[in-house]
Amino acid sequence: MSRRAASGLLLLPGVALLAFGFLYPFGVTLFAPPAAEDPDVLGKLGGMLGDGYVLEVAARTVRVAALTTAICLLLGFPVAYLIARAPRRRQGLLLALAVFPLLLSTVVRTFSWLVILGRNGLISDLLTALGLADGGTQLLYTEFALIAGLTQLFTPIMILTSYSSLSHIDVKLEEAARGLGASPGRAFRRVVLPIALPGVLVGAMLVFAGAVTAFTTPLLLGGTRNRTLATLLYDYANVKLDWGAASAVALIMTALVVVAGLISGRLSKVGAV
Amino acid sequence: MRGRPLLTAVAALALVFLLGPILLVVAIAFSSGDTVEFPPPGLSGKWFTKALAYQPFQDALTTSALVAAGATLLALLVGIPAALAIQRRRFRGRKAAEALFLSPAIVPELVLGFALFQQLMVTLRITALGALLIGHTVLLLPYAVRVTGASLAMADPALEEAGRGLGAGPLRTFFHITLPVMTPGIVSAAVLSFLTSFNNVPLSLLLNGPGVTTLPVQMLNYVEFSFDPVVAAVSTLLLAATVVVALVTERLVGFNKVFGK
Repeated sequence: MSRRAASGLLLLPGVALLAFGFLYPFGVTLFAPPAAEDPDVLGKLGGMLGDGYVLEVAARTVRVAALTTAICLLLGFPVAYLIARAPRRRQGLLLALAVFPLLLSTVVRTFSWLVILGRNGLISDLLTALGLADGGTQLLYTEFALIAGLTQLFTPIMILTSYSSLSHIDVKLEEAARGLGASPGRAFRRVVLPIALPGVLVGAMLVFAGAVTAFTTPLLLGGTRNRTLATLLYDYANVKLDWGAASAVALIMTALVVVAGLISGRLSKVGAV
Repeated sequence: MRGRPLLTAVAALALVFLLGPILLVVAIAFSSGDTVEFPPPGLSGKWFTKALAYQPFQDALTTSALVAAGATLLALLVGIPAALAIQRRRFRGRKAAEALFLSPAIVPELVLGFALFQQLMVTLRITALGALLIGHTVLLLPYAVRVTGASLAMADPALEEAGRGLGAGPLRTFFHITLPVMTPGIVSAAVLSFLTSFNNVPLSLLLNGPGVTTLPVQMLNYVEFSFDPVVAAVSTLLLAATVVVALVTERLVGFNKVFGK
């Protein structure tokens, strides 16, 4: 058997699976849904782009995802930096604690926000006890709730990617900069940050893409008042049964994620220079 | 950490923010009250009893376990040969093949779920369980190829060449040299794959049929209609099971290996 044929044989089961379970359904649904009453997705898409409501939902999705990414970065990077600078034998445990939540379902991780932010929730009770509100402060179904829930969901990813680029940086580099008279802040900005940047940007893209496509959190914390593209897609697909519209939303969502990926690819290359 | 009070404060805040809400769920699960409240009025195990006796959760647990185990096995069976070809062979289109195998990780899971619902369940009349199994295998394939591929990339191909040079056939070389070298990668990939599939919501959401719904989706449905500590109890049981999995993984391959660290 030739080498090429052998390579082909090893790849064949996977390629067959991807063709049938991914490329075919994905391609047909996005570009030519057969069962929809109006099979013209691009026509639907055009209509949607002129529809204020859909644009508002898309803008909210991007806004919430961008803010979530920024806060994840502000919270996650310091944690990653401290873990990378902790004694070797403690790094493993600290990292495990920080990323353990990734092993739990989003339902488990979102549930407690209903308790914290709800009308009879912890924050509402606290505000009432402090005399700042007279009970029943509803923080659920707001963009604030969405951002809080998504940030808690995705900060571990930021920690993980930041840590993996920070842990490659020799402490001695930073010490050398300090020895040559740089302040801690300057040593950090001029030495650590440029080396860590590509990894951090990859993390930021993962968080942004995750926040744009997240479903559980917007469903439970955003409700119908603060829909995102994901809950809108679900609404079209499962409640309104308008599959053409669902496909058009799916196209917008996919395009956003792919564009974010391309931009971060460019940025991380620039950062690496 | 001395001399960096601001940094340490932010990091402490972040850890409380990450782990606090999870511990809150555990406290609520042990409540003796009739509604979700914190702090709970007293302690009891009644919500666990109720959660375990709730038939839809039992059925959903069976479905989720079946799908997660089946999809993990399939993804490894299909992914390991692909990782071998991508890491160990030189052929035209190798980069394209790698990109193809990693591509499902890029697309939104909800969109893939919707596509599988439309094309496999509605058009081709494949059952919900079949669509779940196919969808989850596609979802896990990038992990399987990447993690087992990473363990191959770290191993020295000279070992395999030596085996071949000493007269072992390709199969014998694979089972006696390549497979043992890949084992830590395979264990990591299996743990990550199983949990990823078991916890998934967006892909599984639309792929349901009579009596076939995955556990996280069933929990989500429950929370949407009734807000009581039952879901906190199920969450706590899942949390306990996940801690056990994490500890066993730590003994086997090192916990952080699961994330490629």
